Amino acid sequence: MRKTVRLSWTSLWLFSTCFAWLTSLSLAADLPPTDAPIEQVIDQFVNARLMTEKITPAPQADDHNLLRRLSLDLAGRIPTTAEAQAFAASTSPTKRVELVDRLLASPDFPLHQRNELDQLLLAHKPNDGEFRKYLLWATQQNRPWDAMFRDMLVGIETDENQKGALTFVKSRARELDDLTNDTASLFFGVNVSCAKCHDHPLATDWKQDHFYGMTAFFSRTYLTKKNLLAEKQVGEVKFSTKKDGQKQAAFLFLTGATISEPTVERTKEQLKEFDEVVKKQTQDDNASPPEKPGFSPREKLVEVALRAEDNRFFARNCVNRIWAQFFSRGIVDPVDQMHSANAPSHPELLDWLTRDLVAHGYDMKRLIRGIVLSQTYSRSSEWTAGELPSAALYAVAKVKPLTPRQYALSLFIAAINPTQWLAADQPDKWTQRREQLENEANGWANMFEVPGEGFQVAVDEALLFTNNKRIEDEFLRDSGDRLVGYLKTLSDDSAMIDAAFWSVNSRSPRDDERAALKEYLQKHAADRVVALRQIVWALLASPELRVSY
Amino acid sequence: MTPGSFFCGSADHGVSRRGFLSAAALGTAGTFAADMTQLDVWRHSAWAEDVKKKDKRVILLWLAGGASQFETWDPKPGRPTGGPFRAIQTASSGVQISELMPKMAARMQTTAIVRSLNTKNGDHGGGSSLMETGRRKDPGIEYPDLGALCAKELGRIDSAVPDYVSLYSSTEGRRKGTSGFLGARYAPMFLSENMVPENVRRLETISDIDHQDRAALRDLLAKRFAQNRTSDVIGSHSNAYQRVRGLMASEKLFDITQETEAMRAKYGPTQFGQQCLIARRLVEAGVPFVKVARAWWDSHGQNFETHRELCADLDHSMSALLDDLKERGLLEHTLVLTFGEFGRTPQINPSLGRDHFAAAWSASLSGCGMHGGACYGKTEPDGHTVAEGEASAGDLFATILAALGIDPLKEYTLGARPIPLSDFGSKPIKEVLA
Repeated sequence: MRKTVRLSWTSLWLFSTCFAWLTSLSLAADLPPTDAPIEQVIDQFVNARLMTEKITPAPQADDHNLLRRLSLDLAGRIPTTAEAQAFAASTSPTKRVELVDRLLASPDFPLHQRNELDQLLLAHKPNDGEFRKYLLWATQQNRPWDAMFRDMLVGIETDENQKGALTFVKSRARELDDLTNDTASLFFGVNVSCAKCHDHPLATDWKQDHFYGMTAFFSRTYLTKKNLLAEKQVGEVKFSTKKDGQKQAAFLFLTGATISEPTVERTKEQLKEFDEVVKKQTQDDNASPPEKPGFSPREKLVEVALRAEDNRFFARNCVNRIWAQFFSRGIVDPVDQMHSANAPSHPELLDWLTRDLVAHGYDMKRLIRGIVLSQTYSRSSEWTAGELPSAALYAVAKVKPLTPRQYALSLFIAAINPTQWLAADQPDKWTQRREQLENEANGWANMFEVPGEGFQVAVDEALLFTNNKRIEDEFLRDSGDRLVGYLKTLSDDSAMIDAAFWSVNSRSPRDDERAALKEYLQKHAADRVVALRQIVWALLASPELRVSY
Repeated sequence: MTPGSFFCGSADHGVSRRGFLSAAALGTAGTFAADMTQLDVWRHSAWAEDVKKKDKRVILLWLAGGASQFETWDPKPGRPTGGPFRAIQTASSGVQISELMPKMAARMQTTAIVRSLNTKNGDHGGGSSLMETGRRKDPGIEYPDLGALCAKELGRIDSAVPDYVSLYSSTEGRRKGTSGFLGARYAPMFLSENMVPENVRRLETISDIDHQDRAALRDLLAKRFAQNRTSDVIGSHSNAYQRVRGLMASEKLFDITQETEAMRAKYGPTQFGQQCLIARRLVEAGVPFVKVARAWWDSHGQNFETHRELCADLDHSMSALLDDLKERGLLEHTLVLTFGEFGRTPQINPSLGRDHFAAAWSASLSGCGMHGGACYGKTEPDGHTVAEGEASAGDLFATILAALGIDPLKEYTLGARPIPLSDFGSKPIKEVLA
């Protein structure tokens, strides 16, 4: 019992402190103007804090580095040799903007963004076909985040496009705690189950109502035998408190707003009939689709979370999670800990971006474009000025492990004969090719770990690369469609080494790298194909291909 | 772990992180080794470092399906629930166990019994998860299992041997185990197809020289890339590749033909016996955690015939293992555990079986850190409930950690949330600890 009480109190504390901080949201006139470009506002606030801390940030990343980072972040893959060389050769003063706009308009972007959202929203049950189909449809048309939220929570089962979205709720419908906690964490940035083990001094100030209030929005949700989402007509969440004994939870949102359910008198017979209907729905294959209840708590949650006076959790979380997708940390970090004891690193920036996002109808692509055009985004990941500054200052780019899909796609692109790539000006064919690649990469992606907090590469991965036959067969074969097959047609060592580097690392080799590879070739001159294969293996198995830097 | 962790981010945590970062920055200018040493320090508390010096290890004999406490550690002869078998006196005065375990009875001075587990979950999936991680599932958190915890707390970051090996027996025992939020770095090397782990053998298509040379070329490119970049992703990537040759060499640890005929005979011809011998070879080489799963304990029918056969295998293999560890001076450093997801019902069903039962059952703990011969807790005369000393899965885990010299109250930080190594509110059972 003791444990239960502690869980609730501390969860409450989080809710409530959030509330305190978020109500102080400043939308003051001292924020930069609404029409300022996003990238400028980002740089303005990040640079201001660097100045205060007297830290000179790392220089901007060079062209090849920036192209590689942008390709991984926007297209979910490394660039092809042709893309890399074209970008390097371009002298256009606006080539970065052109690149960003090309990538955002490419078929790669929705596929990649779909993969990112799938991982975020359905991490416990990845690769659900219906859900991925929905996400692709949504990302292809840049569906606004509020509309996606609505689709996922209260989407229409009979709508061809929306029905897959409901997987978000369906896959959690049997675990009320998961449904409550994941919704609060993923859409509002508040982890309600967190701090389970801590007695916080402030905790006693708050009531359990908030915690169970959130649960109340979901407690009537259930799945029918036919796997349709339904809600009961009635149902209350009761909980025990130390002081007042048993209480009934109100429909209480994080901001403190409550929803009152219209009072309807029900006879005993009616209540019994409701029970019968639910029983039939959950047991009978032939039960007709469930009727919508007169009062839908889930619908009310969506309504209250999105309305202007209460949307600050929803909007901030959207900004913060997208920010974290690109910078590996949130402006509020950890991203599910939005509360007063966990201040944002750049509060005014978060306010401005939130206001901007809402003003532009939750247009995620617009926010993403602004982020990747900022100087903050395009710094080098190398740091030579002594002690590394706090990651919250964004003084230097963070090295990020690739996601399993990014890595699998990049391995394929690196290992293919680079002359076989389609030119970038064949977008129709590229769509088909990219989707084919996506499918090829699926099986490989399953072999790598999804990076989480404090991710470390497992030794299993190194053993797989070193000794598994599939690596050799797939990526190191010397047939004409593979990099090794192409390299063996080049008789000049330097040209061969260049081609290998451009394919795998999207850049020319440095002098010492070129020398090391030449030496390797000389030492293993007896069988050139074997030597080429080992060189390509060494490049593929290097950390440079494993991360975004 | 992140600088933003404010809840239990103690001052030392911050200091050691800064220490790591600056040392790594220095390290990248010269040797990479400096980086890895610091990474190690960053990842482990000073206490864990002490433990590692003592080289503690664990062998978990996982009785998949749920063994009967009545036919093993908590017999009730003559009671309606007791079944046909007798109880026999053990080498520990006053402690009796089932006659199906005569060899262990003679070795009771090595082993402590906990007879009062009430784990409240009689479902295979839920019970297994509970007894693997020592706690119930929580929304939003994937907990690491005991093996992963031990791999992290007892393993060496640059170890040439695996940290956690999980040996299969058959379908029932084939739960892979999970390293949860600790990540794949601490995931088990899982032997699912045969007695040799995957990907530890060099392909025939590459010569040993080429295999080594290309690895050296890879290292060179990796070091060049790591210059001026401080990242534990890059650090762990290098560390993983540096461990490859050592792990390949550890293939021989799985080869029991390297043991004498006499030694193999001691462990006996069963697969479980052979896997116990592999487990001994592994811990001897420094593997901190080995799980050997023995399946088919789920005796809903013919419980007594089943246990007659399975207990004979368990009794023999476990005794041989304890003797062997003792003779090699390893037993005082090695904790040998037996339990599964739950025990079995007092009621004997019409098929002469016993069903799932989590309300009053037993586990055994031998060797390292244990008060051998101790017997903790009591069930009521028919074994329906715990009469004395009720212990939870968390208490059992706290006891295991304490026996290994690991502080059960030590916390990991996940996001902003502190997570103690053994479940909230759990306590070691002092009575069974040395």
